[in-house]
Formats: sequence, structure tokens, C-alpha cells
Amino acid sequence: MTDALRKHGRGLLVFAVAAYALPLLLAGNRYFAFIGGIALLHVVWTAGMSLLYGYAGLMPLMFAGIAGISAYAAVGLMAAGFAFWTALPVAALFAALVGVGLGLPALRLKGFYFTLCSLVIQTVITLAFVYFVNLTNGDTGISQIAPPAWFGGPLQGVGFDLVLATLAVGAMVALVLIVEAPFGRRLVAVREDDELAEMLGIDVVRQKLAAFFVGSLFAAVGGAFYAPYVGFVSPRSFDVLLSLNIWLMVAFGGRGTIWGAVVGTVLLAPLPFLLQDYYKVKDVIYGLLIIGVIVLLPGGILGGLGSRAAAGTGTQSPGLRRKEAA
Amino acid sequence: MTGRVPLFEAEGIVMRFGGVVALRKVSVTQFEGETLGMIGPNGSGKTTFVNVVTGHLAPQEGRVRVAGAEVTGFRPHRMAAAGITRTYQAVRVFRELTVADNIATATVDAPNRMDADEIAATLDWLQLGHRLAVPAGSLTLFEQRRLEILMRLVQRARLIMLDEPVGGLSATEVRAMLQVLGDLRRRTGLFVIEHAMKVIRELADSVVVMLAGEKLMQGTPAEILADKRVVDQYLGRAHA
Repeated sequence: MTDALRKHGRGLLVFAVAAYALPLLLAGNRYFAFIGGIALLHVVWTAGMSLLYGYAGLMPLMFAGIAGISAYAAVGLMAAGFAFWTALPVAALFAALVGVGLGLPALRLKGFYFTLCSLVIQTVITLAFVYFVNLTNGDTGISQIAPPAWFGGPLQGVGFDLVLATLAVGAMVALVLIVEAPFGRRLVAVREDDELAEMLGIDVVRQKLAAFFVGSLFAAVGGAFYAPYVGFVSPRSFDVLLSLNIWLMVAFGGRGTIWGAVVGTVLLAPLPFLLQDYYKVKDVIYGLLIIGVIVLLPGGILGGLGSRAAAGTGTQSPGLRRKEAA
Repeated sequence: MTGRVPLFEAEGIVMRFGGVVALRKVSVTQFEGETLGMIGPNGSGKTTFVNVVTGHLAPQEGRVRVAGAEVTGFRPHRMAAAGITRTYQAVRVFRELTVADNIATATVDAPNRMDADEIAATLDWLQLGHRLAVPAGSLTLFEQRRLEILMRLVQRARLIMLDEPVGGLSATEVRAMLQVLGDLRRRTGLFVIEHAMKVIRELADSVVVMLAGEKLMQGTPAEILADKRVVDQYLGRAHA
């Protein structure tokens, strides 16, 4: 555990300083500070996606759906009178367990087939958000979500941004500890060749379920904080495009590397806001980026540089691409 | 035969795939300190038998026991924990991972794994020490075969089932591999599927002959080579 922190200590320190500096530097402009906060929130998500996609080799397109379930659950609990800090663990745990359930197809399906299945699951979740109007207020969504209480007052502004910075740092520390632990090695083994991993004594079913629980927990915690931070949730907030964006951030930055997810998030998370006036161009840019990553940078920015030192366990894997094609 | 401790016992194994019967009431016992060989034409059920004993397939009928304990239907990771492991016909290592990471992965869930000194000694013996930082996929086939064996040895497997261990190797490499396997059988139990009779003759104390999903006979290499059925059914063609 301490070895892992020592190995990635400098990176974590740099990231922590940057994460805390960001809200403070942008404090003068609430809009830019909000974009910064959203980026920090996305770090939590990409850390979870990194675990599932980069290390376990599964591309879960229902990732946003799990975040959404947690967000709606948190909002629902808050509406029922619970404090945010009570609603958060309950909603996150609930959504993570749902994530394990939704991950069950991964026990049978690999690569492309699992991705397709997860796309269907995401679609069903989005339809459920629209359909169960009693719980979700349907397409209209739920607005004016109250901010969490914080030392007697509402948590908002720079204060909330700094909480998100803490969350992002916590997510990265957790990712480092998980990936450097035996669990991380088992996941890489499952990604590379699950039958061989099983033969070598690794309980593949258990590892996959554990990966889904932990990965979904990241999605869920991010989702629960998203609701009060943005103040508005709707089915569109957690649709397949969010899953794809989070995936793209991991793939773009460098899957199977610790810091690739952060690099991808920093570059891509602010994009929708900066391009808000050109929303039609935005989708084209995303499309081009996806194609560009797949064709030109299959290992992502960090992986593409062939930087094994930067590549977490040194197991950044071009093999992923081949396996998904198969 | 009495007084010998069985390493594994497979009893009356029946394995069907739809209407095709791959194994019909096959019973095989391997004892501690014995190297067992298995020969038979393609499709005679050799690999299916290994799949059953190592937990890749659950048989419809029959029992598998390891050191007296019932393990029928266990998944492979539990078989590995019980000390039963295998290699594959086509060499299989984590190609994108370095040799060191391959070894580390082999020890991550091995309750009885070797310590660092023993691993270093085994690396030396298999002449892979200088290749630790290399991705396993960049090794030669012979090196990959040795890495496969190493990954089982660091787990202190009680039995390694080798599915055609010299497949694809050059004549020189086959000789070198035979030496490795000759040493290996003093370290752990070996079960060898092989078409090359040379390998079986040199390694196996006892040979099971498979034919069309059934155990045709079992005996020493000399006995089976003298058997007319074996010569007719299998060697006759293979050695023609």
C-alpha cells in the first residue's frame, strides 16, 4: 500500500495541488469555476471507467446510467427529508450494487459483445428515467436541487469546488491503491486472457464482479455529487453520450495507465462548455476524436508515447484493441 | 500398486457434447512420483480428458478426486488451488505483459507459492533470468514453453498436465525440452499428452492409450508398443 503511494506519490501530489488550485484560481469567474468543478467531477468518473476499461478490459456503456441511478436516488432521498450526507452513501451503495447486477453479462460476454449488451442496458436505463415519472419527473427532469448542508450553511461556490477537488484526489488515490494492489494485477490478467488467469488460480467471476462493484461506486459517487452541484438532473444528463464521453476521456488519455484518464479528462471535459455556442460542431468534434483515437492513438496519449514509465503498472496494453476486434 | 498415494483419480468420466460422446467411462489414476503419458489419434478425447481433470469442463458422469478429496465440477481456479494445473496445446502466456509480470500474475493467487529465492533459482534453471523485462509475446516459442512451465512451478503445482509440450519446436529444441521435462518430473507430477512417441518413451512411466473416447489400454511404454491393437490403431498409421 505504501509502496503504491511512493511509486505514484509525485504524480498524486502534483494532481492534488492542481486540483485544489483550480477552484481557487478560477474563483473570480463563477462560470469557469463551474467548468472546473465539472472537470473534477469527471475525474471521479474517469477513474472508475479507467478501472473497468483500462484494467479489467470491459467497456461498460451503461456507466452513465449507474451514475444517474445514484443521482436520482440521492435526490429522492433528499426530497424525502434525508440530509445529502446520509443520502450519498445509501444512493452510491445502491447504485453500485445495481452496477454489479448489470455487470453480470460480462461473466459470459467479452469485448465487443459485452459493449453492445451494455449499450442496450444503458438505453433501458435512460427509458426508465423517462418512464418512471413519479420518481424522476420524466423528461422535464428535477431542478432546483438543494445544495448539501456544510457547517450550518449551504455548500456552494468555491467551497463545493474544493469538496469536488477532494473527491477527485480521493478517487485517484483509490485508483492507485487498487491498481497497485493484487486486485489490479488480477484484473490485468483477466483482461489479457481470462481463461489463463482462471487456470492460474484467479477466480475470474469474483474479480469481474468486484471490478463492477468498485467501478460502479466511482460512477455512483460522481452521480450523487453531480445532482446538487449542477442543481438539475434529467434523463439527458445520464445518457449514453455521457458514457461515451467518459470512455473517450480514458481512451484518449491512455487506457491502462493511471494518469491517462486525468489527461483525457482535462482535455475533454471542458469541451462541451467551451463549444456551447457551436453545439452542432461539438458532436462532429467528438466523432472525429473517437475516430482519431481509434485509428491514430489506439493506446491513447500516454500509451501512444510508448511511455511505460508513465503507464501505471507498466502493463499498458495494445492487446486490448486486438481483443475487442476479435 | 498398494501403498502408493494417488495424485488424482478420474473414475468413470463421461463427457458428451450434444449427441457426441467425447469420453466414455474413462478411469485413470495417477500416483505420486509417477509420470503418466496419454496417446491417441486426434479426436480420441485426450484434451477433453485434461479439460475435465483441470476443471474446464464438468463431466456428465464420473468423479475426479485429488489426493483423496472430491473435486468433481470444481472451476479451474479451485483446481489450481488444489495443485492441479495444465498447459495448452497452443502456447499460452500473457503476451503483452513482461516475463516478470507473468510470473507475478502466476503467484498472485497461489496459496503455496515459492519465495523470491526459489523463484530466482527456478528462473536460472529454465534460463529465463535474462528475459524478465521482455514482453512474453516477444520470446521465442521454446522460451514461451519454458515460461509456461515456470509459471506452474512458482505455484508449486503438484501436477502439471502438458498438452503436447514439444509441439512446434525444432529438433534441437525438442531435445532440449526433453531434458527440461526429464528434470521437471523430479520436481512435480507430470501428465503428458504427446504424439511424439520419443517423448512418451523417454518420460512416461505408464501410458494411457485413448481411442474414440475410450481408454483402450494402459501400460508401460514397452507394453503398449508391443500391443497389436495400439500398433494397428495408432502407431501403425503415425509411424508409417
